Amino acid sequence: MNNRFFSSLALRNIKSNKQLYIPFLLSSTAIIAMFFLMVSLMTNRFVQERSSSLPTLFMIGVVVIGIFSVIFILYTNSFLIKRRKKEIGLYGILGLEKKHVAKILFFESLFSSLLSIAAGLLTGLLFGRLVFMLLNFMLRMPNNIMYTTSLLSVGVTIALFTVIFGLTYLYNVSQFTFANPIKLLKGKQEGEKEPKGSLILFILSLIFLGWGYGISITIPDPLAAIEKFFLAVLLVIIGTYLLFISGSIFILKALKNNKRIYYRPGAFISISGMLYRMKQNAVGLANICILASMVIIAVSTTVTIYLGSEETLENRYPYEHNIKLFGDMDNVAEMNNRFFELQDEVLALTEEKGLEVTEMESYRYESFFGKLEDGSFVFEQSSADGTLPILMMAIPLEDFNEMAGENYSLEDDEALFYHSTKTYEKEELAIGNKSYRLTEIENEFSADMALTESIAIVVPDVSHLLDFREAYMEQFPESTHITIDAEIGWNTEGTEEQEEALIEQLRSEYSFSSENDGLYNSRDVQREEWYSVNGGFLFLGVFLGLLFTLGTLLITYFKQVSEGFDDRGKFQIMQKVGLDEEMIKESTRSQIVWMFLLPIVIATIHVSFAYPIVRKLLMIFGVTNDMTWLLTFIAVVIAFAAIYWMIYRVTSRVYYSIVK
Amino acid sequence: MTLLEIKNLKKIYTARFSNQQTEALAAVNFSVEEGEFVSIMGESGSGKTTLLNIISTLDDASSGEVYLDGNPLSKIKDKEISAFRRNTLGFVFQDFNLLDNFTIKDNILLPLVLSKTPIEEMESRLMPIVRNLGIEAHINKFPYEVSGGQKQRVAVARALITKPKIILADEPTGALDSKASQNLMEILRGINETGQTILMVTHSTRAASFSKRVLFIRDGSVYHEIYRGEGSADEFMDRISDSLKVLSSRGERDE
Repeated sequence: MNNRFFSSLALRNIKSNKQLYIPFLLSSTAIIAMFFLMVSLMTNRFVQERSSSLPTLFMIGVVVIGIFSVIFILYTNSFLIKRRKKEIGLYGILGLEKKHVAKILFFESLFSSLLSIAAGLLTGLLFGRLVFMLLNFMLRMPNNIMYTTSLLSVGVTIALFTVIFGLTYLYNVSQFTFANPIKLLKGKQEGEKEPKGSLILFILSLIFLGWGYGISITIPDPLAAIEKFFLAVLLVIIGTYLLFISGSIFILKALKNNKRIYYRPGAFISISGMLYRMKQNAVGLANICILASMVIIAVSTTVTIYLGSEETLENRYPYEHNIKLFGDMDNVAEMNNRFFELQDEVLALTEEKGLEVTEMESYRYESFFGKLEDGSFVFEQSSADGTLPILMMAIPLEDFNEMAGENYSLEDDEALFYHSTKTYEKEELAIGNKSYRLTEIENEFSADMALTESIAIVVPDVSHLLDFREAYMEQFPESTHITIDAEIGWNTEGTEEQEEALIEQLRSEYSFSSENDGLYNSRDVQREEWYSVNGGFLFLGVFLGLLFTLGTLLITYFKQVSEGFDDRGKFQIMQKVGLDEEMIKESTRSQIVWMFLLPIVIATIHVSFAYPIVRKLLMIFGVTNDMTWLLTFIAVVIAFAAIYWMIYRVTSRVYYSIVK
Repeated sequence: MTLLEIKNLKKIYTARFSNQQTEALAAVNFSVEEGEFVSIMGESGSGKTTLLNIISTLDDASSGEVYLDGNPLSKIKDKEISAFRRNTLGFVFQDFNLLDNFTIKDNILLPLVLSKTPIEEMESRLMPIVRNLGIEAHINKFPYEVSGGQKQRVAVARALITKPKIILADEPTGALDSKASQNLMEILRGINETGQTILMVTHSTRAASFSKRVLFIRDGSVYHEIYRGEGSADEFMDRISDSLKVLSSRGERDE
């Protein structure tokens, strides 16, 4: 018997089992396409260039979907092969040797993997192109984001799924090598057994979930969030699978033992059915739950970033017009003069254009990196070792009082002190050669200060800034970038033409290329740029949301179709004994709590616990308003629940039409 | 009192894409008294199963009527048909038709659950039946964990639990070995002796010999019937065999 015989036999098997293979091939195609899209996005130019943390986040996405693919394909395959045990047991009885059966299985795996990988790559490519085109059009992006992919992405996808399909082949062979034909013939009938030590699994699931949630709740700052995000996601995914496997079986058995609940037509049929395939049921539900969490997080965060743009702009550019004055390293007195001169200059310019100044703020400051050590701030070069240095901003009292509208006065050894993490508890702090008695204040400075651990210190006058500089230069003589800089910001009132004329003039006079030492930024001009960039986020979020929703659709579809074929015989028997169509409907209805509510509720809990870590991640993109995120989050949960409800209704109708 | 009456029952199958018609039942007439145990015998293709399906309301007759307790089955509305089947008829099938996702106990209770019977009622009915059938030790096992004979006894228990007017058995011994068949038939006879009406379709002369009356069906109509009367089962079996021989030899002469 040659390979051609086996391959044609394998092909015929796939064809004659198309009821099983079509959902299997469809869903593996979808998952391959999903993975391929994710890998391609990771290497996408927008993702690579927009922010240094985006590629990291996409890397996490790729790994998560990769793990998800392994579990999903192994799960669908084990289901498929279980239903074919009888058929393959028959080969043994008809006299095929085990190695022959292994050969047939090999060709079957080969054909189905080739088909689904090819279809997956093609679908991924088409879907990516089409949806990108559609989104570019719908979101009216100023600069179109192109969908690109590379041979590397194709290679990674092919490699991963070849390994996964290889694993399924080994699993299938092991199923038949270690079983005798008679047992195989009966294989389909037996119900799934409860996994051993389900109590331990349940405790483990709580530990994993608690650990993952714990990471999220206790995360100190955004940069730690990027580092730990992946671990937390992984822990929660494992915890979810364990929770569903142990928890759902536990609940189902409790329901079965409650006679008043169990012995009702709908519950009787659905609970016994779910217990019969308890593991399959649990894994399916966990899959849906994880995808639901991913949709909710992806969409709600990107929508928040988009909606939070205005807020971000205000954080970065507190005034309509902003000038940053770069100090002179060697000539500090000159800088002080320029600070006041420049204010007069821009005021004069603004009035010349016929505009009225409504608000103005200006301050000088100096910033250092370093660390807090035993009551003193020790300077460090910004490019220190792995640990992140603390940013310190020093401001003279005069400028602070004017800026914050306060009226503090300070002795020579006193300072106002703000610390973003509020973990410094001593009453005194030494900087350089000076020591200060501290008075704590709130953040009157930039909202960006909460991003990483930062300190703001208000000192009695400018001379203290010079002292810091000296101390710093002593420690790092070769350093060149410690200067006293200044920010000037003001709002104006006037006609639009007047505003535009002012912006135009300021932009030409105070830019990097001009001779002046200040850099001008207009919030209006920045706004346009911000929206074009953050439109890209919305774009990615909508795209990922769509992708994961589609995944949810396919998994739900697979679950309903495969269970439908599984249950058809049972419903036929029950109809003979007197089951009517109304009761079939009732039994599918009583699965709603499981199929619909359970994944959504657990996904919502996951996402709620993810709130602290996601909030920190959002800070990186300049969003600090909790309310925006909370409202978006609620809206997205409700919207996704509605979409999933429709998916559920449509697929349960498919189930019903199969069993009827 | 007549429980089941079959009048001029006809069933014609029409092939879907041609006008060719197959007559499964020509004109069947017979009746079953309350408390009777009737067997229907005949060769494959003689129309036995079609007849049983029509009585079971799983199939419609082309013409003629089946009366149960004097009520025509064709007048039952579609909505009520499942409830009717559940409450008035009990089924025993050749291939058991037990459900692997239910325990033995739940398999037996299935028709009662579908009728929304109170739990106390279900449990009080269950125990006497499983004790009589000798399966009480297995009620928490699953069907794939017990033998064929035990499975068929579970199916009998499921048929009995609704206290049906009539039990319809389709080749109940067809998948059992001789010992399990003997045991099952003794059980069915015992059930009949408590007053339960049974209508059974079978190939097996031994199985048929446990009933009180045997109807022979050929080419879609009742051809012959014999009663056991006061004779023993073995004697009755001989008479059934003789009748079958006569039937088949006449058949050959006809052809």
